[in-house]
Amino acid sequence: MDVAVHGVGTSHFGRQPDRPLIDLAWDAVREALADAGTDQVDAVYVGTVFGAPGVAQRVLSALGITGIPILTLENACASGTTALVEGHEAVRTGRYGRVLALGLEQMSTTFGGAIHPESSDAEGLAGLALPALYAMAAHRYLQTGAATAEQLATVSVKNHAHALHNPRAQYSGSYTVEQVLGSRMIADPLTLLQCCPTSDGAAAAVLAPATGGAREIPVRGLAIRSGDLWDHRSPHVWGYDLVAATAALAYEAAGIAPGDVDLFEVHDAFTIGEVATTEALGIVGHGDGGKAAESGRTAVGGASPVNPSGGLLSRGHPLGATGLAQVAEVVWQLRGDAGGRQVDGARIGLVETMGGGVSGIDGNACVVAVLGA
Amino acid sequence: MSQTTAVPAGTDPRPRVVVRGDDAVVAGVRCTECGHPVAFVRPRCPACRGPVEPAEFGPAGTAWSSTVVRIPVPGREPPYALAYLDLDDGPRVLAHLPGDRAVPVGTRLRLTAPDEAGDLTAEEA
Ligand SMILES: [Zn+2]
Repeated sequence: MDVAVHGVGTSHFGRQPDRPLIDLAWDAVREALADAGTDQVDAVYVGTVFGAPGVAQRVLSALGITGIPILTLENACASGTTALVEGHEAVRTGRYGRVLALGLEQMSTTFGGAIHPESSDAEGLAGLALPALYAMAAHRYLQTGAATAEQLATVSVKNHAHALHNPRAQYSGSYTVEQVLGSRMIADPLTLLQCCPTSDGAAAAVLAPATGGAREIPVRGLAIRSGDLWDHRSPHVWGYDLVAATAALAYEAAGIAPGDVDLFEVHDAFTIGEVATTEALGIVGHGDGGKAAESGRTAVGGASPVNPSGGLLSRGHPLGATGLAQVAEVVWQLRGDAGGRQVDGARIGLVETMGGGVSGIDGNACVVAVLGA
Repeated sequence: MSQTTAVPAGTDPRPRVVVRGDDAVVAGVRCTECGHPVAFVRPRCPACRGPVEPAEFGPAGTAWSSTVVRIPVPGREPPYALAYLDLDDGPRVLAHLPGDRAVPVGTRLRLTAPDEAGDLTAEEA
């Protein structure tokens, strides 16, 4: 059966250590349920990474959501969209009539700065913080002539400018390329303004069978995949082939090509991530991602707008919540409710979320979802 | 650089390094069916699931990419330089480099004896 998103909601995204996770979740759940015009769901799929054991039931019971199946899913940064995939499948197959997908994360009370590398992992124990993994992709791009430092910085300029029109974003601003490149170095060549911040937040979506209602947004195609081995044989930077393979499955399921998509919400945890992803999604050819940002093609108003919300770079990146915040943005865009960041006439939107942290593979998980009619 | 993350004996997930004179090599396995080199002692080939036998890789290789970490990481003192190093006819490994600069892609590197933190290390050949 065809499935649609009937409602979405999010908390504010930002550093909010004084707000209990229950309050953040309530902001997202209340808005999503009201948007869907219901207070009843048959199951909840929760995506979180660093949440304590039982965090889903602890939060949901405080909101009066009890006595139904509650499942917690961890898939690194793609946890929220993994909840979307599983909730969607449960509705599609008739297992449940209506489900809530919820993403949660309170990072500021867990980490002072960047996520600590996982010490049970070979490269985590060796000190490979995630910014360093992306930095090595960026270094590779710059050194092989696939992009310039200025092009990478343009992604940050663009997404911070998009976020000026997103009141829920953690950061926004009118930066110059020089300011981005001149900000503090995090992992060469990535500077502070090219890295997503530490964030707290929640986001939710209500999924149910499509009925053709005016405010429903059909789920047109979905795919989820874990990475193949990433090693000396791999032709591309880390994550690239996983995004490309997942996207191919999603495009096939949706019966569309990249050129049919009106806007993209992609995993720009770092500027190089957006550049490589615009290539891996087939928006532009390999090696053209930096040029696409520089030319304005991927800005709102360009031919292929990427991250009109401001992306992870500006909205913030509370890991488990990110994927469902991307879904919320696409739903608002396709309804024409996105205000000053609205992509005119948007009919089809794509969400891509990518999670890593396990060395030797091309990513823990990638989800690509195509929404709209 | 110091490394204080506690790792119970026998569970260190990093590649094992053998030092012979001036040479440091990684002790891993190679697939007897497809030839795939692995920097770790694994029970079967992760590429084709075939049987494996012990094999050593290095010390020479080429930098696939490199960076310098300039943010605090638990138990480590920034800045520190890293490289993905493709060992000749061997696997890609993560190695620490001396100093605080990233090496160009394609730089020839050579494994050196592990540092006191137990990390793989390399220097320009
Ligand atoms: Zn094999």
